[in-house]
Amino acid sequence: MTRHGMTWARAIAPVVGIVVFLALWEAFVQIRDVRPFILRAPSDIVRHLAKFPMDFLRASGTTSLHAVTGFLVALALAICVGAALAASPFLERASQPVLVLIVVTPFASYIGSVVLWLGSGDAPVRFITTLVCFPAFVFGAVAGMRSADPASRELFASVAASRFEVLWRLRLPSALPTLFTTARFNTGLALIATYLVEGQNFANAGLGAIGRRAAGYSLADPQWATVFCMAMIGTLWLVLLGALERVVLRWHASQRMLR
Amino acid sequence: MSAAAETVDLAKAFGALEVVAPLTLRVETGSFVSLLGPSGCGKSTLLRLIGGLELPSAGTVLVEGREPARALERKQIAMVPQSPGLLPWRSVEANARLLLDVNRRANPADHPDPRELLHEVGLGGFLQSMPHQLSGGMQQRVALVRAFALGAPLVLMDEPFAALDEITRAEMRDLLARLIERHPTTIVFVTHSIAEAVRLSDRVLVLSPRPAHIVADVEVALPRPRAADVEDRPAFVDTCSSLRHILSAAMHA
Repeated sequence: MTRHGMTWARAIAPVVGIVVFLALWEAFVQIRDVRPFILRAPSDIVRHLAKFPMDFLRASGTTSLHAVTGFLVALALAICVGAALAASPFLERASQPVLVLIVVTPFASYIGSVVLWLGSGDAPVRFITTLVCFPAFVFGAVAGMRSADPASRELFASVAASRFEVLWRLRLPSALPTLFTTARFNTGLALIATYLVEGQNFANAGLGAIGRRAAGYSLADPQWATVFCMAMIGTLWLVLLGALERVVLRWHASQRMLR
Repeated sequence: MSAAAETVDLAKAFGALEVVAPLTLRVETGSFVSLLGPSGCGKSTLLRLIGGLELPSAGTVLVEGREPARALERKQIAMVPQSPGLLPWRSVEANARLLLDVNRRANPADHPDPRELLHEVGLGGFLQSMPHQLSGGMQQRVALVRAFALGAPLVLMDEPFAALDEITRAEMRDLLARLIERHPTTIVFVTHSIAEAVRLSDRVLVLSPRPAHIVADVEVALPRPRAADVEDRPAFVDTCSSLRHILSAAMHA
């Protein structure tokens, strides 16, 4: 195959995958005659979205903003904490149990308590989204910063570079590949956390709130429409993340292979 | 003559393992001194002690009359590590000026321009290239430029050409010989190549197997500047063979 043909095939492949998946889904629902509150066909979902486009668009905007805010705050905190932990094995070991605890505890079970604590509205959404993204970002930041080339570290030491210079010019760039991998993983986590908390924060905003209400009334169409919107947001997010990665990590072996 | 670096009864042990035996040496300002020894003999550790990257177990090191840690703060020591240690996200030019970009207050006023140095070593056409686009020899040339750009009074080189193929190594010897003629400084050079040591050095210190101590201090009586054909001279060949005998006697002592 020509080089041009290969690029074209690579671009079209994910679209083909999605179209085939949706077609199989549609066929399954139509042929098996699945009951509406169990699963809706893609065509039903799209019809419902077309009926209330502005509502779903606004809710998607709210949810995206919630998820991105929590995700970015977690990233910023994790870089600061990660820098401290990468410098001190004692601190790293001391913080390990707490971080693992955050990961393994089902956050869905304490959403109610956090809402009571922080009140209704955006605060509990931001808090829990940040909380659940935080540990993976810390693990990624620490592992990435530790991966800095020892020869380069000695080079920085040989001219008495400050801790900040080592962090900014060596450790942070070294951590970028791991941080991007972690960011992919955390994309899903941030969206799920946002959706679930929006359903319980008494704010009536975001896809989570629509989904929760629809489930309460056993309305399959709006509920599946929120699921569809979440999938769209997640896909768009990952596409943007991939594009950013290709620009930021031009120098890294993982990206050079793609050319 | 003053000493760019000197050690008095310098010793280093890692736990029970003695790596450097009490060792006294003096590196005169402006001279090129090679540390020649079998691999694993502790010559790299000796270099790292002089460079302040390891702390001595006993004895003292002075660089430009100061403890190495103080000398580092003043950017008086430039290191060339065994692997080039280039940062993959920085261009060739940005890598060449890396050591000038950190701890800037300590930069000397009259350091050489990294860009000009890159032209001198034949990398003028690669200023914006990324390290992964360069061959191993070219990468090591960037590492040499990075060290010389610091304008430091002492340059420490830890087998900088060890990972290169024989042809590139010979080329790098010429290149380094030219570089030190245009930018004179004091150099301590760790190697296990006799030809490399004789070609470049004013003095060759032969080290014993671990724990390292000096078994011979050989002056290289070859005139400078030394072009590549110096390697065909009888004096070059004689010095090499006498070093080979000293080295093998030390190995089997």
